[in-house]
Amino acid sequence: MRKYLTQRLIGMLVVIFLVLTIAFILVRLAPGDPASLMLGPDATPEEVDDLRVRLGLDRPILVQYGTFLVNAMRGDLGSSLFFNMPVTEVLASRAEPSIFLALFSLLVALFIATPIGIWAAYRRGSVGDQMSVTSAMLAASVPSFLTGLIFQRYLATDLGWFPVSGYGGPDADFAERMRHLILPAITLGITNSALILRFTRASMLDILGEDYVRTARAKGMTERRVVLRHALKNAGIPIITVVGLTFALLVSGAVVTERVFNLPGLGNLVVNAVLRRDYPVIQGTLIVVAALYVLVNLVTDLLYLVVDKRVKY
Amino acid sequence: MFNRSRLFMTAAATALIAGTPLAAQTIDVAIIGEPDTFDPMISTKDVVSIVTQHFVETLYTFDESWSVVPLLAADMPEISDDGLTYVIPVREGVTFHDGSTMDSADVKASLDRWIEVASRGRSIAEQVESIEATGDFELTITLSEPYAPLMSLLAFSNSAAAIYPEETIAPEIETVIGTGPYMLEAHEPDQYTQLVRFEDYTQPTGAAERQQIPEEIRFVPVPDPNTRVEGLLSGQFDYADGLQTEAYDRIESSDTAEPVLLEPFGWPVFAVNHKQGIMTDLTIRQAVQAALPFDDMLFAAFGDEKFFQTEGALYPEGWTWRTDAGTELYNQNDQEKAASLLEEAGYDGEPLRILTSRQYEFHYQMAEVARMGLEMAGFTVEMDVVDWATLAQNRDNPELWDIYITHSPFLPEPALISSLFSSAREGWDNPEKNEILNRFTSEADPEARQEIFAELQQIVFEDVGLIKVGNFNALQGQSAGLEGVTPSPWPAFWNAQPAE
Repeated sequence: MRKYLTQRLIGMLVVIFLVLTIAFILVRLAPGDPASLMLGPDATPEEVDDLRVRLGLDRPILVQYGTFLVNAMRGDLGSSLFFNMPVTEVLASRAEPSIFLALFSLLVALFIATPIGIWAAYRRGSVGDQMSVTSAMLAASVPSFLTGLIFQRYLATDLGWFPVSGYGGPDADFAERMRHLILPAITLGITNSALILRFTRASMLDILGEDYVRTARAKGMTERRVVLRHALKNAGIPIITVVGLTFALLVSGAVVTERVFNLPGLGNLVVNAVLRRDYPVIQGTLIVVAALYVLVNLVTDLLYLVVDKRVKY
Repeated sequence: MFNRSRLFMTAAATALIAGTPLAAQTIDVAIIGEPDTFDPMISTKDVVSIVTQHFVETLYTFDESWSVVPLLAADMPEISDDGLTYVIPVREGVTFHDGSTMDSADVKASLDRWIEVASRGRSIAEQVESIEATGDFELTITLSEPYAPLMSLLAFSNSAAAIYPEETIAPEIETVIGTGPYMLEAHEPDQYTQLVRFEDYTQPTGAAERQQIPEEIRFVPVPDPNTRVEGLLSGQFDYADGLQTEAYDRIESSDTAEPVLLEPFGWPVFAVNHKQGIMTDLTIRQAVQAALPFDDMLFAAFGDEKFFQTEGALYPEGWTWRTDAGTELYNQNDQEKAASLLEEAGYDGEPLRILTSRQYEFHYQMAEVARMGLEMAGFTVEMDVVDWATLAQNRDNPELWDIYITHSPFLPEPALISSLFSSAREGWDNPEKNEILNRFTSEADPEARQEIFAELQQIVFEDVGLIKVGNFNALQGQSAGLEGVTPSPWPAFWNAQPAE
């Protein structure tokens, strides 16, 4: 177990190093100069050059890369060119909305998907099953920005039930900030419920056909107990995998939803950083996202141990 | 540039919802993005001007008819007969947000920095012989040659000649301290900039009055235009900048908000590369000018005649600078004439490269229609559609483009139009134009300046120095009943009064 964990942690570092290097090369291959963007349309070439020197962008790319690596190992991801603030601080301030949005939308998705998935598998082939599969496909096919726009227009603007956008102003307390997440979470939750629904249904179908389920039924166990205690527990592994990955995806990839609802999360941050060519922030976000994926994978694998006693590392 | 701001927490968590008592004293403004800096000297971006003009002030400002009026100056300057010396009385008893009092030493230090770091300040640095504090509250600017646009430059909030305390002056100012009616209270990047009333504000006299009606002004960066519209219609924002014209009817029919149409707002420009490439040939430039279907380009870009005017004059009706000189060469839409000009120029099919971006969709739409007109005349057109960051970089390299597309609001002083100057990236260096421009900037008499401007506009068309596409209107929106905001490309909110 210890050996396994050590191996995984080393692998994690390698992945992060690779992502970091690729990110560094890619963002610098992209044309577009942060200095001229920051100074506005009338800046002279001399002003742009001055700013490039101040930002350290005039140094050879290898020197920039070396400095970046050494600093990153010390936990220093540099300073945002745009905000003149440490990247770690920028990332920390954006983590809250993203993590809570991911959690809420995952809850919404699970709340919709798990019962329907189980029920559809149990009623395999029935009209209800077909309807649930079709609606899952429909939910997955409608892009989240469209769902978001519709909710925004009718539930927020017309009915005034929710805030249209943002994360609360300077006066907002925790509850108020969370209130701003309700609509985006439902939007994202609906889109992501489709995948979880299909996974739940498929793995329940597999399990319901197993011998031990038949045995349980033969012993006279109630259907409810068969499905919830025996089958669901064993169908858990694929469900946990997909839920874990969905969570990572939600934290890092809620770009469109964060944009529509103007949430100051990581997705919005990375899009703005790309448009502003804020290299340190782009790199910092990618490192965090890579670390998150690797970590979620590790946690998922460790959860298998809990769910299935046969799994050994 | 920014310090990590402190969070301002009050008990009223629900204040963001319009209609609550606190909302009546707070103005929430949706702006198109985050200001890059709070130091308006070093940026020409409109979003920076809109926000910073509330807490940073200049010696002069513009009144509603774009005339220069005193702000931190006590009066208009005494200008010597030769137009070389400006003696500016500085107001007494003006307090900075840090509690210190402004005197001429602060003004001198600020203007010294301005001519060093601000693009508009640098544009006159060569003409400035000295800036001296000639009394505790008197400043004297001496020029080496007369420069009429000086007053407009001192008044403009864009690349502004902002006045800071002398002690804070540095190449890069960490915390911007001003004298404005509002102070910077908190800033949460990409979330909000919170300004609160400056209680020790000393009111300027005359046209520049700032009533300080709202207790707070909050600027919320909302990059998505649709979200700005929804926010305005739901009552979350009292004002929204940069709205898409498609939203006009919806805002107009709503009970909560009303459209604010800036008519006209500005002009889209096809900037011409005079340094390198095929556009350095006058006959080719004339062919481009003849071939472009301006009507169709504007229609494609703005959709409804409510939002544009097909007009070549560099200034619209109602402005002092308005003249028809040279405009017979505008909107010829004559591809045959263009074809014969191309033949005369011996055009060999070398691609005409149009650099544009979809950051502003209307740029791209104009480019697509322009391409058709140009191809009908026989041009080979190559479109280079990139993101704005790339465009901002590539346009500084004259090897990469022949035309790039941009736009500008109508500026209060023609000498602020940078592309008229040979030092601009377009490099329009026609000796005759330079001579007219010199006369224009050194002439002090307003009527004489108008006449010279007509000559300048004439040569813009004859030499195709730049290509103005037309006038376009911009759409902003405000909550129903909001008063005290004068429509402007740089709206200010110190006099804003929400409906009861």
